[in-house]
Amino acid sequence: MRNDHHKEITAADLLGVLGRGLLIQASWSFEWMQSLGFAYAIEPVLRKLYPEQAEYASRLRLHTDYFNTQPYLASFILGAAVKIEQDRATGRNRTVDVQALKASLMAPLGALGDSFFWGSLKPFAAVVSAALLMTGSWWASFLFLALYNIWHIGLRAGVLFLGYRTGGDAVGLMARYRFTRWAGVLKAISHTVLGGIVGTLPLWRQEFRLTFDMPALLMAVSGMAFTLVLVAVLRKGGSPLKLMLGLAAACIGLAYAGVI
Amino acid sequence: MPTLNLHIVLAVLVTAVVGGLIGLDRTAFGQFMVSQPIVACPLVGWMVGDSAAGFVIGAALELIWVLDMPVGTFVPANATISAISATAMAVLASPGKASLPVIGASVLLTTVLAPVTMKVDGLVRKWNSRLAERARADQRPDAGRRLARIHLFGLVAFFLKSFVLLLVFVPAGIWAVMLFQHLPENVHRAMALFVKLLPLLGVALVARKLSMKAVDLFFLGGFVFSAATAQAFRAPALVIILLTALAGLLGARYRAQRSS
Repeated sequence: MRNDHHKEITAADLLGVLGRGLLIQASWSFEWMQSLGFAYAIEPVLRKLYPEQAEYASRLRLHTDYFNTQPYLASFILGAAVKIEQDRATGRNRTVDVQALKASLMAPLGALGDSFFWGSLKPFAAVVSAALLMTGSWWASFLFLALYNIWHIGLRAGVLFLGYRTGGDAVGLMARYRFTRWAGVLKAISHTVLGGIVGTLPLWRQEFRLTFDMPALLMAVSGMAFTLVLVAVLRKGGSPLKLMLGLAAACIGLAYAGVI
Repeated sequence: MPTLNLHIVLAVLVTAVVGGLIGLDRTAFGQFMVSQPIVACPLVGWMVGDSAAGFVIGAALELIWVLDMPVGTFVPANATISAISATAMAVLASPGKASLPVIGASVLLTTVLAPVTMKVDGLVRKWNSRLAERARADQRPDAGRRLARIHLFGLVAFFLKSFVLLLVFVPAGIWAVMLFQHLPENVHRAMALFVKLLPLLGVALVARKLSMKAVDLFFLGGFVFSAATAQAFRAPALVIILLTALAGLLGARYRAQRSS
């Protein structure tokens, strides 16, 4: 029986991959995207599993092939790739094609991660924190980091270990973390608090408070009407840049018209 | 009016170095969201001597840029550089506390410069393709260490991008804001109103991107709930925002129960 004791993957090895995974986009490029980052993250494990230089170099070269996904969920694919490489190195299973697994997972996990982290969690943390900052809670910036990173760091670590345990079972990932359900909940809360930002307009911090002389409720309703006009303009197609420039021009127009 | 003295030169240098490091969080390292305006602006504001200006700019810009997402090969405007330079310009061009018109002018100037940040971001990513090609072509022994060195060199490229842009934008912006202070009173009033309306533009942008509907029920519900609570109970803003978030959570649960 071969002695593959030195080929055991420990929690410390996986934490090393997790740490290096934070740099997966350090050399992000249009052509190769995260390919070098993936190879960089898995490299210490390959060095441990393949003591023979030629095989190590060949496996490392393989992992520099094109790769791109959502950077946090890349941890899941990294965990799965570590498991496949370990099985291959120890002879337990040499049939699984690690490149095929990476290729099959990266697009769906990219879409899932973009939708959950960029499209739901980030706006949720931003909307709640901005609402508090607007009304004078200076600690809202810290709250933003806490709200976001409790999920981010927890999931980044959790999916790495899950990827390793399951060898890349995406169905298991979806069942365990229920990203789609949580995305719906976070979006609903974000929307409600967005409405709350406008509803609390008379309570905004001094710098943002409109100085028009009108009752608080009327001010909030006017704010909502103005926001809905902006939403309607955006529906016709307009970028943040164009809208900001347009808003500045409108303010200058109002000032010269003597309205403000 | 402040002149470009040693204090300002040092403050610009520190802003460029810290901004370069914060900029790494945007793509190259970790993505802990320290690079978001709601965190980066107060931090830079505190460093250059006016954290209140940082809070105002951070709160105004966060919602505007939060859903401008990097998906696939799309590189959005670099909100981090815009937010950091707006904060540094506003604070360093003001003899005491940055006034609202100066903050508005700084935000507007950096908005105009946003397409430049997109262009430079694109150039760095193109240049990074060469790093990947060099690493992949390397057949010499000790490939792992060499790959790590090449990959981590990408961090230098990302750092230098933010560092150089800030080193150019901030002094040029300070000079432009000093000129702005000589413009007629009407323009100053217009810029003050521009800052006050930015949060509503941010709300409109997020509401539009989170939902395809013309008017989202959660958004309207949040508005009605918070405005009514503020009027009826005269509760502190913090309590109203937290209750609104809770109402959003309950609404999401009710919707889930109904659809299941």
